[in-house]
Amino acid sequence: MQRAVPVQRIDTLAQVETPEGIVLSLRPAGLVSRTMAFLLDLFFRLLINIVLALVLGALGRMGGGLVLIGMFAVEWIYPIVFELTRAGATPGKKALGLRVVMDTGLPVTPAASVTRNLLRVADFLPLGYTFGIITLLLNRECKRLGDLAAGTLVVYAEPVVLHDQPPATPSLAPARPLNQQEQAAIRSWAGRAKRLTPERFEELALLAAPVLPPLSPDEPRRSPSERLLGVAQWLMGKRS
Amino acid sequence: MTPLHFEAAYGGMWEAFAEQLALAHQGKRVDGALLAARYRQVCEHLALAQSRAYPTHVVGRLESLAQDAHQLIYRRQDYGLVALGRLLRVQLPQAVRAQGRYVGLAFVLFTLPLLLALLLAWLTPDFALRVMDAAQLRNFETMYGDDRESVGRLREAATDWQMFGHYIFNNIGIGFRCFGAGILAGVGSAFVLLFNGLQIGVVAGHLQRAGLGHNFWPFVATHSAFELTGIVLSGAAGMRMGLGWLAPGRRTRVEALKLAAGEAVPLVYAAFFLLLVAAGFEAFWSSAAWVAPWVKFLVAGLCWAMVLMWLCLTGRGSRHAG
Repeated sequence: MQRAVPVQRIDTLAQVETPEGIVLSLRPAGLVSRTMAFLLDLFFRLLINIVLALVLGALGRMGGGLVLIGMFAVEWIYPIVFELTRAGATPGKKALGLRVVMDTGLPVTPAASVTRNLLRVADFLPLGYTFGIITLLLNRECKRLGDLAAGTLVVYAEPVVLHDQPPATPSLAPARPLNQQEQAAIRSWAGRAKRLTPERFEELALLAAPVLPPLSPDEPRRSPSERLLGVAQWLMGKRS
Repeated sequence: MTPLHFEAAYGGMWEAFAEQLALAHQGKRVDGALLAARYRQVCEHLALAQSRAYPTHVVGRLESLAQDAHQLIYRRQDYGLVALGRLLRVQLPQAVRAQGRYVGLAFVLFTLPLLLALLLAWLTPDFALRVMDAAQLRNFETMYGDDRESVGRLREAATDWQMFGHYIFNNIGIGFRCFGAGILAGVGSAFVLLFNGLQIGVVAGHLQRAGLGHNFWPFVATHSAFELTGIVLSGAAGMRMGLGWLAPGRRTRVEALKLAAGEAVPLVYAAFFLLLVAAGFEAFWSSAAWVAPWVKFLVAGLCWAMVLMWLCLTGRGSRHAG
């Protein structure tokens, strides 16, 4: 199937093609989760600074110098070092399930991490990350200026699971051959059996009622949704 | 092949692959060849599952496996001293020379106001007061004054460390900001360059006029080799990035910005390195009062020569091999 990007997308998935010829979907993180991650990081950084000041501050002037070096590292080096680890995220981002990747889906490179973190200076202007927030809201991949320049994305690390294995029922052959799109629609409907309310599930099943075979006399009485689940099982390859 | 067959036939392999990935994520050793082979197979399965519109839970499972492995397999691991050495010896000077036009532009934007301000502050009585207020100037006068308490006189080692921390926090921070502000069409970097050039020039000219040059020049001669070059390079990096998207050529602006930022980053590395060395010299050497001025000027000359040789000569002739 040619996975051409539809003209009017209704989600914010960023689809990237890898050298292996497959298409991966990345889910960019929006303003709220990124702000939360930033605030958490701010808290951690403050904590490190306080600990540094308490421990090294006791060493007099030399300690004062070391505290300043520590503060420099916490301000500039902290995000870069953490983004280059295996998790690809600062502790704040990790806590919110985010990670930084290149917009090719690859792990973030040192140069990109340096770029995106030094450009916080510009994103911060004129006050409180205003430029960053405006840019982030204006593009569909939620990139701030630093992300645009570095070619990076902040994405959710874990996928969202909305579909499970369809519940097991005896299979039922559809009334007519179904094309691939129809098959896919019925299968994904069946995958949401546990996550939709029974009423909604039934309501959706009624839309597909025309593909249900006529009731045979020896068949036990079942609701349309149960029968459509049978069709889904048949489409999955079950023949009993 | 039906989805059920598909899952039954390969489900075992997917599970084994997931286990292997989990181990690798914990940092344990895994069989790399097997991992790669399984990764290729999973990619193939994902492509098949997508093209045959298999159930979403199967596609989703394969997608998250592929994504996980993708992150793991393409992770960079070539960090280390060898890479760092190569960066310093070859890549940074080469990158600086490749961006020569922007370095030249930043040099002019910084040096011209510096020289003008120096001459004006030195030769005219009131220019310094037009740029800075009297309290600031008096402050500088006491800093480089002849009494024992000021910078450039004898002091304890602990104070050296304090100043080292201060220079790192302050000066490298300015260098980074100078780069970051460049994304605003280069205006930010140009402003930082002009402003710092003007200020340094005024202070130097004013101190010379006040007859404190004999304290000031030996103090700044050495570390200025690294610090001024560092400021110019971080400004050049910012200009490269800002002007890159302002005049994108045949690329889209975002593409041009990405390319320009990528080319500017080595300059930031070079600036960071130079400013770090500058902080060390400024804290531990420039302030050493027991060193005679002529020794300081000699060392300063050597340092300037070294910096210029590093930027102009090192790494010539070596290609991007390896």
